[in-house]
Amino acid sequence: MKKHNYLLDGIILIALILAGILVFIRVKTGFSYTWNWGAIPQFFFRIDESGNIKSNLLMLGFYTTIKLSFWSSLAAIIIGTLMGILRTRKNLFSRLTGRTYIEIARNTPPLVLIFIFYFFIGNNITAALGIDEWARNLSGTGKGILSFLFSKPERFAEFLSALFTLAVYEGAYVAEIIRGGLESIQKGQFEASYALGLSSTDKYRFVILPQVFRKVLPSLTGQAISTIKDSSIVSIISIQELTFQGMEIMASTYLVFEIWITITAMYFILTLSLSTLATFLEGRMIKY
Amino acid sequence: MTSKPIISITDLNKTFPGPDKAPEVIAVKDVTVDIYQGEVVVVIGPSGAGKSTLLRCLNGLEDFDSGSIIIDNIPLNHHHKNRLEIRKEVGMVFQSFNLFPHMTVRENIGLAVRRVRKKSVLECEKITAGLLEKVGITDKIDSYPSQLSGGQQQRVAIARALAMNPKVMLFDEATSALDPEMISEVLDVMKNLAKDGMTMVVVTHEMGFAREAGSRILFMDNGEIVEDRKVEDFFLDPNEDRSKAFLSKVI
Repeated sequence: MKKHNYLLDGIILIALILAGILVFIRVKTGFSYTWNWGAIPQFFFRIDESGNIKSNLLMLGFYTTIKLSFWSSLAAIIIGTLMGILRTRKNLFSRLTGRTYIEIARNTPPLVLIFIFYFFIGNNITAALGIDEWARNLSGTGKGILSFLFSKPERFAEFLSALFTLAVYEGAYVAEIIRGGLESIQKGQFEASYALGLSSTDKYRFVILPQVFRKVLPSLTGQAISTIKDSSIVSIISIQELTFQGMEIMASTYLVFEIWITITAMYFILTLSLSTLATFLEGRMIKY
Repeated sequence: MTSKPIISITDLNKTFPGPDKAPEVIAVKDVTVDIYQGEVVVVIGPSGAGKSTLLRCLNGLEDFDSGSIIIDNIPLNHHHKNRLEIRKEVGMVFQSFNLFPHMTVRENIGLAVRRVRKKSVLECEKITAGLLEKVGITDKIDSYPSQLSGGQQQRVAIARALAMNPKVMLFDEATSALDPEMISEVLDVMKNLAKDGMTMVVVTHEMGFAREAGSRILFMDNGEIVEDRKVEDFFLDPNEDRSKAFLSKVI
């Protein structure tokens, strides 16, 4: 091995440190920002009139982001699995259906999709189906359950259109992941299921999909992480998730850096725990 | 042989589309054969002769272009019900075993018994235990396929097909993917099955098995059945030049 030139390394390192100090000094003098981290904790939790600790804006937004990501990931996996299967079928109509969905959902900006779904589903469909009314007329416990699982009854229609948009958008990517997984399964598995007389549903349910999900778990996790991150765009239709709350607090306090750094950390905690969980699950899975 | 054939193939034709604009490949040509209850029909012939394709047509894994296949009085056509009935009554063993890798031996054998035959858990356990005894691997019931040798995997695959209690068993080069020292354990299971009176159609290169356990030979070449003879007659005195040439190479 060639002898290492430590002198050169040292010089480069010192030069970098000096450059860093210079930039820091320049920014410090030109950048008059008074940090106020002390103002942040009150946005996590607050103490109400009767002295109870209540979640405040940031935590409420955090919960909404979790709920929204959970339901839309779940819906995306269901839509994506169905469409991924359709995409690999022999039947031309099935293939066209799958392909059309994937291409439309993948080749449209999600922001545009959100507007379409918001004005279409949020304003018309939910009203036509009476979902709004149903949510408003729920009993006390019913409202409690709805709030816990989804969102406040009066915002349920918006929540649904956000959920639906994210599910449709992410579902297209899930469909492609599932298709890849399906194509990696040996033909013999399909043939053996056929020869044993299994119905098409049983074939996928017991033989094919369990193998597919094991193979694509890492990619699916990546897609779920994307869903969490992409969920921030629904702030545009006033879903009170993490990013929306951040903008609200920023508008009233001007704590630009503190707020966005805090929110970045919160997203990071969420996505990191998800990928840690997935790694743990992968390790636990039976090796065959 | 007795009255009605269990498998009746009439004027069967099957072609595969050629690559690009090449002419189509004839896989099965004008095949007419009747197979009776309890017969062990061994299909032999050079590679590319259409043996496997013929076999795969019998349970509908491969669609055919013209002709007819009737199994146990059910015509094999595009009626979903007929097809399902035939898939239930015809067991198949593949060259590459095709066990379900994410399921234990027990689950592999039980799946179709539970889901298709709708047997109870108890009955299913009984069937599984009985079959594993028959194929001689009772101690591996909770193993995964990857923990078994090739010979053991193929024996589980045979048990899995038998669990459906089929009227006919198809073997598609069941020993071709096995290491030499494991071939006999699978062939022994097949021979016992033949002795028990199972109707079998076997595509194989194992002439020993054909001689010992077969009752009829179908010699195929270029998609056609060149000879359809009793086993003893075929090996002693093949009629056709093509059969003679083939036999001189493999024996």
